[in-house]
Amino acid sequence: MMTPSAYAWTEGETLAQHFESRGVSRRDFVKFCSEIAVALGLGIAAGPRIARALESVKRPSVIWLQLQECTGCVESVLRTADPTIGDLLLDLISLDYNHTLMAGAGAAVERAKQSAMAANKGKYVLVVTGSIPTKEGGIYTVVGGRTAEDLVKEAAEGAAAILAVGACAHWGSVQAARPNPTGAVGVRDIIKNRPIVNIAGCPPIGDVITATIVHYLTFGRLPAVDREGRPLFAYRERIHDQCSRRAHFDAGQFVESFDDDSARKGWCLYSVGCKGPATFSPCPIFQWNTRTNWPIGAGHPCIGCTEPNFWDTMTPFYGRLPNVGGFPVEQRVDTIGAALAIGAAAGVAAHAAATVFTQIRRRKATHQVPETGPETENDDG
Amino acid sequence: MTAPGGAATGRRRINLFGLGRPLSRERGNFTWVYLWSAPIRATHWIAAACVVVLIVTGFYIGRPYFMTSGEASAHFLMGRVRFIHFTAAAVLIMAGIVRVYWLFAGNQFERLPALFPVTPKNVHNMLRTAGAYLTFRPDKQPSLVGHDPLQQYAYTGLYFMALVMVVTGSTMYGQSNPGGIIFRAFAWVPLLLGGLQRVRLLHHVLAWAFIIYVVIHVYFTIRSDYVERVGRVSSIITGGRYISTDEPYEDYDINQVPAHQWPTPEHPNPKKEA
Ligand code: SF4
Ligand code: SF4
Repeated sequence: MMTPSAYAWTEGETLAQHFESRGVSRRDFVKFCSEIAVALGLGIAAGPRIARALESVKRPSVIWLQLQECTGCVESVLRTADPTIGDLLLDLISLDYNHTLMAGAGAAVERAKQSAMAANKGKYVLVVTGSIPTKEGGIYTVVGGRTAEDLVKEAAEGAAAILAVGACAHWGSVQAARPNPTGAVGVRDIIKNRPIVNIAGCPPIGDVITATIVHYLTFGRLPAVDREGRPLFAYRERIHDQCSRRAHFDAGQFVESFDDDSARKGWCLYSVGCKGPATFSPCPIFQWNTRTNWPIGAGHPCIGCTEPNFWDTMTPFYGRLPNVGGFPVEQRVDTIGAALAIGAAAGVAAHAAATVFTQIRRRKATHQVPETGPETENDDG
Repeated sequence: MTAPGGAATGRRRINLFGLGRPLSRERGNFTWVYLWSAPIRATHWIAAACVVVLIVTGFYIGRPYFMTSGEASAHFLMGRVRFIHFTAAAVLIMAGIVRVYWLFAGNQFERLPALFPVTPKNVHNMLRTAGAYLTFRPDKQPSLVGHDPLQQYAYTGLYFMALVMVVTGSTMYGQSNPGGIIFRAFAWVPLLLGGLQRVRLLHHVLAWAFIIYVVIHVYFTIRSDYVERVGRVSSIITGGRYISTDEPYEDYDINQVPAHQWPTPEHPNPKKEA
């Protein structure tokens, strides 16, 4: 894969002209657009329409901030389904700033970022990966002497739209997991006045990022989102309902440990903690690493990485029920429940025994008095 | 009106360790009062059956303890168990709807205000009941025809537990049709609890609460039959129980109601007689 800086994009050139000059065939371009159209859930017929819309697009500027993160999301983008799509994406946009892909370094690229932001003010797309540490004045992530919070605020100022890419950028991910030592938060906690789309996942599938950017370029707005701010075209369906192992779930065939016979047979991973029933993600459809496979396909339960605060809410990854406040509920809830039920039964038995005992004693006492004695007046039900 | 107590009729009965001998109300005059109308009794037993089915199937869904073998296409075990679970839940919800209707149509013991005994007198009675349980003095319990406040709060609490079960269960059920009516109607639940897994956890924990509840509930009703001898267990089948006519009741003026309105052995069908 070439770095974007290898392409020369003349000022004012449209995408069609640019592709022509680079020798990208129109056929390849329409094919790319058709794949994106399918990913967006628009149907393959929408491909040419997207192509027409994109052709006239002037190359939009994208500023990509990498903050408190692991670079996994960039890796994921570089592994979009078809390698040429990744190329095309980087062709579609002018990636003016990205730590991993930039050829340059140091003060020069910081200056380049400033000038790109100034030149495209109010028009560029801001992509953020990584969380924003807020404790101790934000010293946990500092780039060029400035804190992550500072950088995000500055970049968001002139952004037309923000893509919070990955669990870190929206919920803080593992950094924000209890006890969140660095006070990590997502972009949405810092920036309130810009449209933010949540490309959820740890990392998200590269195609989702590509398709979202294309959607923005084609329609001039971000795609429709669900209650968590995730694009519906990708996150509408639940893993469990699209899973290749679902037949085994319905049949009652479960893997109980990773080395048992059921695991070899490819049965459902529910009993080893699969979070597919609680996770909305296109993994089974888009898959990973140029459609090689996906976690459940490879025999690992879904860990629910596209869901809010999954390090706190989806752990333990290999158990059905979540822990609460660090308390291992999963291991104990049935033990505690059974203990309480047995305790209740024992308490009831003890109470019953004491009741019978006291009743017999009082009966003996009562029956020593005449039948019409006043004591009966008090024997009230 | 006859007294059903063994001592009053002078019948001999088998008396193992004195267990068979009635204590309270064994002498005096009794009458039968009709307390629980048919919808209450029907929903009680429908709900009881549903809860048992829901607990058994729910624990399977939470942790599948049986497995099938061979081709997946030949089996539908989890599918069937979930179907039974959802069907039982639907029946329980319908029973709940009838109960809600009866909160407005029922008699004084079944109506909405009866669910919340909040007056100072009620609170006092609740403490008296708790004290009577703790000291094993059934004779110290308040004199009530309907539920005592402690019992009533336990039942009201059960209604709320069932409501939380229905809400959390419906939330999970709705996930299989994202964007559907049920999904959208309960979209606030995962947001409120902090994720679907928390919804799942609450549902699971309350299942245990139901088990514990059933143990205690069954015990106290049977115990009440033993110490009070007023036929409380059968009241949820026949609709009524015996009360003494010798003593006033806090929640019921027996003199206001003509005797023939209550079915008694002599007047099995008072409505026709009237
Ligand atoms: S492996 Fe996970 S997502 Fe797939 S059917 Fe089983 S529980 Fe559902
Ligand atoms: S299968 Fe689940 S855990 Fe894995 S990447 Fe997809 S959503 Fe995340």
